[in-house]
Amino acid sequence: MNTTDSRDPPARADHRPGQLALGIAAVLLAAGLAYGAANIPSDAGYAGVGPDFLPWVVSAAMGLCGVLLIWEVRTGGFRNMPEPSGAARGDWHAMVWVSAGILGNAALITTIGFILSCAMCFTLAVRGLRISEGKPAGNAMQTVKDAVIGMLISAPTFWLFTKFLAVNLPGLTGTGWL
Amino acid sequence: MLETWNNLLGGFVTAGTPINLLWALAGCALGTAIGVLPGLGPAVTVAMLLPITGQVEATASMIFFAGIYYGAMYGGSTTSILLNTPGETGTMVTALEGFKMAKSGRAGAALATSAIGSFVAGSIATVLVTLFAPILAEFAVKLGPPEYFCLMLLAFTTVSAVLGQSTLRGITALFFGLALGLVGMDQITGQVRYTGGVIEFMDGVEVVLVAVGLFAVTEALYNALYEGRSEANLNKMNKAHMTRTEWKRSWPAWLRGTFIGFPFGTIPAGGSEIPTFLSYATERKLADPEFKKEFGTTGAIEGVAGPEAANNAAVTATLVPLLTLGIPTSVTAAILLSALQNYGINAGPQLFETSSALVWALIASLYIGNVMLLVLNLPMVGLWVKLLKIPKAPLYAGILIFATVGVYGMRQSSFDLFIMFGLALVGVVLRRFDFPTAPVIVGLILGPLAEAQFRNAMSIGEGSLAVFFERPMSATLLAIVVLVLVTPRLLAWHRRS
Repeated sequence: MNTTDSRDPPARADHRPGQLALGIAAVLLAAGLAYGAANIPSDAGYAGVGPDFLPWVVSAAMGLCGVLLIWEVRTGGFRNMPEPSGAARGDWHAMVWVSAGILGNAALITTIGFILSCAMCFTLAVRGLRISEGKPAGNAMQTVKDAVIGMLISAPTFWLFTKFLAVNLPGLTGTGWL
Repeated sequence: MLETWNNLLGGFVTAGTPINLLWALAGCALGTAIGVLPGLGPAVTVAMLLPITGQVEATASMIFFAGIYYGAMYGGSTTSILLNTPGETGTMVTALEGFKMAKSGRAGAALATSAIGSFVAGSIATVLVTLFAPILAEFAVKLGPPEYFCLMLLAFTTVSAVLGQSTLRGITALFFGLALGLVGMDQITGQVRYTGGVIEFMDGVEVVLVAVGLFAVTEALYNALYEGRSEANLNKMNKAHMTRTEWKRSWPAWLRGTFIGFPFGTIPAGGSEIPTFLSYATERKLADPEFKKEFGTTGAIEGVAGPEAANNAAVTATLVPLLTLGIPTSVTAAILLSALQNYGINAGPQLFETSSALVWALIASLYIGNVMLLVLNLPMVGLWVKLLKIPKAPLYAGILIFATVGVYGMRQSSFDLFIMFGLALVGVVLRRFDFPTAPVIVGLILGPLAEAQFRNAMSIGEGSLAVFFERPMSATLLAIVVLVLVTPRLLAWHRRS
């Protein structure tokens, strides 16, 4: 007797493919950990346990967790799953801009220095976040404004941390001001 | 007793001089700011400021550093509550209930209970430090590796089984954190593990990196992906005060939190994660049924009051073994130790005799610092709340800049920034599928320590697991672990049948 369809709330997205993927990812991670553990010598020293003990334990536990997660998915999905907050579908366009900012920052920070790199990160990220809110991404004028705000945040931060707190941050020039 | 009182009064005289008061204020203000910023912690800040010990007098600089240490705890809870980005690991638990409270319009109450609770806990804890420093440290030395390991096992259990809706997901997250903690050189044998030949991994995965990546950067990415159209206005805050009911609910939690947190600060490997989780679990269990349903939904004030008190008590308590035995029980305490060494002062049992003036001035400044922090965080809390009025887009983009400072400032490695991004992607997935992130951090931090303790314990037990059961303290702790895991299930099964 098929009773499931009439009782399923219609609007609920099916998260089970994603959940299954996570369970499989856990099992794969466990396999990777096991492979790594096999390469660690088990020299136990003073009759204790060796450096490979915990890797094996973590690998086994992760594998077990992965299997249990997969079992949960096959028997109706993750237990006690609240609907995740936010939209049902991801705004990948927005995320690409934010990611570009972060990755660009990581790639360029040692080349163009903290202030410029972080200002760039800010400009790209704020553009992405604005897109996610459904607002217009902004024309060139807006982008310039964003860049200026970015500089207004990153410059004092840079000066505060390098001059007063002696944190080592990369600068474009050696002057310590840029 | 009388001697203690006289010493303390002398300490107040020293700590009360205008110069030292200024240093205390500077430390508290800086500490609060550092606590608010994700990524930079008191340990890193104090370490970076160590050069001042060449110029500044010993008492003044210790008061300054101590101010940073406590201020960071106060500030960290502010960000946890308002922005769900815990400034410190000790305030992670505050983020759980505090942020929920902020989302339901009760940010003011959360901040108030956090500040006042911290003040109450800090003051009580300082009194306890004054009275019991020698006695407590003496007991702590008797704990051996088997007991330490069981303590950490208890922490792992509480963090994965108590938080979140699903123990399985919590444990998976925990083992992910443990796996991250395995990367790098093994403490005991120096064996390199899981580096994949990448040199940057030799030192392991930096905790700040994981915390900033999984919390701050994940927040930015998740917002871009899913929360763009969400209701931007989180709360209307009128006053940072609590209603009478909230006071009544808070103060027992403060007291319980203080007495849970204090012992953990005194033992090595205590840290602030265990007592805050324990306090949260306790408050959750002991809450009135009508308030229990607020946990995890609209936010229960006990869940902020207890852990915040526990946190502050634990931080204050780290001074006990530091000043009496020279044993630092937290990273920041270790840095404070090296600050003392810069002045040629050897922390240890003799400290109370040889540098009595400094020690008592430091203790006195704790009282003063707590008052300053209460003022900085309570009436001025409206300033912090204004943070929420900043439009979301520039706010999260700005957080990325501070995240960069924290992560890059640690190891001057742009590779770390790439890892941070990778971890943020993982964080988005974890959040989307309701995997808690706290166990990852706890697994990462405590994992290597627990492993070291386990292996030392096994050495003591000559390769046999019986060592954990033969010693009464560790057997007791193991029993508690089993109880924590089994009791909820038993209760649920009992309720069903």
